[in-house]
Amino acid sequence: MSSLRNVAIVGFAQLPVVARDLHRTSPEMLYPVVRQALADCGVERDAIDFQIAGSVDYMDGRPFGFVAALDVMGSWPPRLDLHLEMDASFCAYYAWLRMQAGDCDTAIVVGHGKTSEGDPRRVLNLQLDPYYQAPMGLDPVSTAALQASAYMARSGVSDRDLASVAAANRTAGARNPENQLHTAATPDELLKTPWAVEPLRSGYLPPVGETATCMVLAAEGKAESMCDRPVWIQGVDHRTELQTIGARDLTQSASARLAAEQALAMAGLQTASEVDVVELFALTPAEELILCDALGLDAQAARPVRNPSGGPLCGYPIMSTGAIRMAEIFRQLSGRAGARAVPGARRAIAHATQGHCLQHNIIWVLGTDRRWA
Amino acid sequence: MEQAQTMEFPYKHSTGQTVGRFLAGLKEQKQIWGQRVAGLGVVVPPPGYSEVDGSEPGEWVAVKDTGVVTAVAVVRDPVDKLHPFSTPFAYILVRLDGADTAMAHVVKDDIHAVKVGSRVAAVWAPDEARVGSMRDIAHFRLVP
Amino acid sequence: MANEPPRDPVKYVETHVYLPYHYVAGDSRAGYLRALKDKKILGSKCSKTGKVFVPPVVNSPESFAPADELVEVADRGIVTTFCVVRIPVTGRDLQLPYVAASVALDGASVSIFAPIQECAPDAVRMGMRVEAVWKADGEREGSHEDILYFRPTGEPDAPQDSYIHRL
Repeated sequence: MSSLRNVAIVGFAQLPVVARDLHRTSPEMLYPVVRQALADCGVERDAIDFQIAGSVDYMDGRPFGFVAALDVMGSWPPRLDLHLEMDASFCAYYAWLRMQAGDCDTAIVVGHGKTSEGDPRRVLNLQLDPYYQAPMGLDPVSTAALQASAYMARSGVSDRDLASVAAANRTAGARNPENQLHTAATPDELLKTPWAVEPLRSGYLPPVGETATCMVLAAEGKAESMCDRPVWIQGVDHRTELQTIGARDLTQSASARLAAEQALAMAGLQTASEVDVVELFALTPAEELILCDALGLDAQAARPVRNPSGGPLCGYPIMSTGAIRMAEIFRQLSGRAGARAVPGARRAIAHATQGHCLQHNIIWVLGTDRRWA
Repeated sequence: MEQAQTMEFPYKHSTGQTVGRFLAGLKEQKQIWGQRVAGLGVVVPPPGYSEVDGSEPGEWVAVKDTGVVTAVAVVRDPVDKLHPFSTPFAYILVRLDGADTAMAHVVKDDIHAVKVGSRVAAVWAPDEARVGSMRDIAHFRLVP
Repeated sequence: MANEPPRDPVKYVETHVYLPYHYVAGDSRAGYLRALKDKKILGSKCSKTGKVFVPPVVNSPESFAPADELVEVADRGIVTTFCVVRIPVTGRDLQLPYVAASVALDGASVSIFAPIQECAPDAVRMGMRVEAVWKADGEREGSHEDILYFRPTGEPDAPQDSYIHRL
């Protein structure tokens, strides 16, 4: 493995996740968050070489609607800029690549979008091909339920097992003031919630929510002056699978498994269980268990600690959920995690996914130390 | 201050030799066709290439309109103008007899009795109602 | 039984995309729209440069500084640039040809879009002074349509340097 540039997460700001912000449009939610992130790093906008945003025009209801965010990101004088119709955690990968190429040393990576304004189930139906799958009306909750069904049939995991995983997230999430859901729940309480799309109960699925986020990345040489405890990227990889869900083995996540192997190898680690904390972008408890299998983690083990933030179940803002997983690791490893801190955490994994049934997965391996000399 | 606004777009997606002929098979022959492709075997419905390595497809293979359920999701509250039914129904993935991949479709009746491993059979739309779409199969039914 | 599906493909799959949206105006835009009912046009001022943006914004896109201070601008101004539309546009019901213009209101640093009427299209020019024609009292609702259009005032044209940076 050749040597790469050490790049760190040096800052992160977000609004608490809410069901619907009645006072601000999406860019208006983003502005204070960009200002806060830069202020926390002690820099002005001109110190940032590259900006990239993650949002989805289909949810905004405006083709090229994403350009509205340029106004609140400090885009003058003309900046090196990109937009992806993806979660900001994938935008962070692109920023990391540009740094490896030597094109920039610092970057802001933002996520924005008001999930409450569109209908995620209708919008994400359009991710599927228009010939065979989309015409059936498949939406992301239904496809997640199909995956859960296949997984439960193969593994023997039960409804109660799903409730336990969801309850663990809710319990952890009660300690996180950024969450939309911040009350604990027991497995029995969640088992009493009605079916959303069986085998998924409504208590296993996040409510619709929104926020705006801004992450600051900086390469070695810049990072040290921007953050008291930078969190270093030690490994990263992402892989995607087939479009046709019936052509995939939905009981496993081959792409998460491969991405994890590659990211861990880059980080110089053998297994995911060598880290202290894992934050998984799992929409449902079944996805969380499938991802544990893919990462080679024992779902019952106490270490690594899984989703101390409460996970996406407690806050699922479009285009920022993956970035928040990285932010939670930043908070854990830099002493900013407050009541939800995992003591002694030094290495962690942040995961994000996009597409139906865990189609595309990214794995970040992060740590308190630089990876390359 | 809030505003509701609905965007509606009609689309006519061009098909091609594979998708278009598969749909013609549903409409005219009441026959479900797959294609043999690299890395997957017989794919139903066929996209016209191997999703694994992008290679050209091999021969057309006729599959049966019966098969095994590999996943089932019961929709209790259908979403208006999205889901195919307005009363509870189930999505299934069904691996038709002769296919190596599963096809996404629906079951309308006995939805709580459908399980992974159940056998189902296609219920075809009547001749005059078939237009060349996935809904030319109206739904699948549980086979006792 | 055939060896292959029919030779002639079904040519299209028809989809009807149906996407309902439920937007929030945000306090900034809501305030701007409500003020139109009172025949007031609001902008906001950049805290760093003093530039006035209409409609109001939370920050200046140019300086990145907050732009919280609301100011009222005039309902009259200058045509900075324009075009004459001679083809019908889906969803618009205006009589052709019509003039679509950018108008820099007195007090504003940027232009707004507005139709120009009560004027032959070939008489519209950059620098032409115009004034808003509002819907009658009791008919205004606090929406963009409260201003029907802009019309020439008959005053002498504004000098180019007074509007060339406010296009």
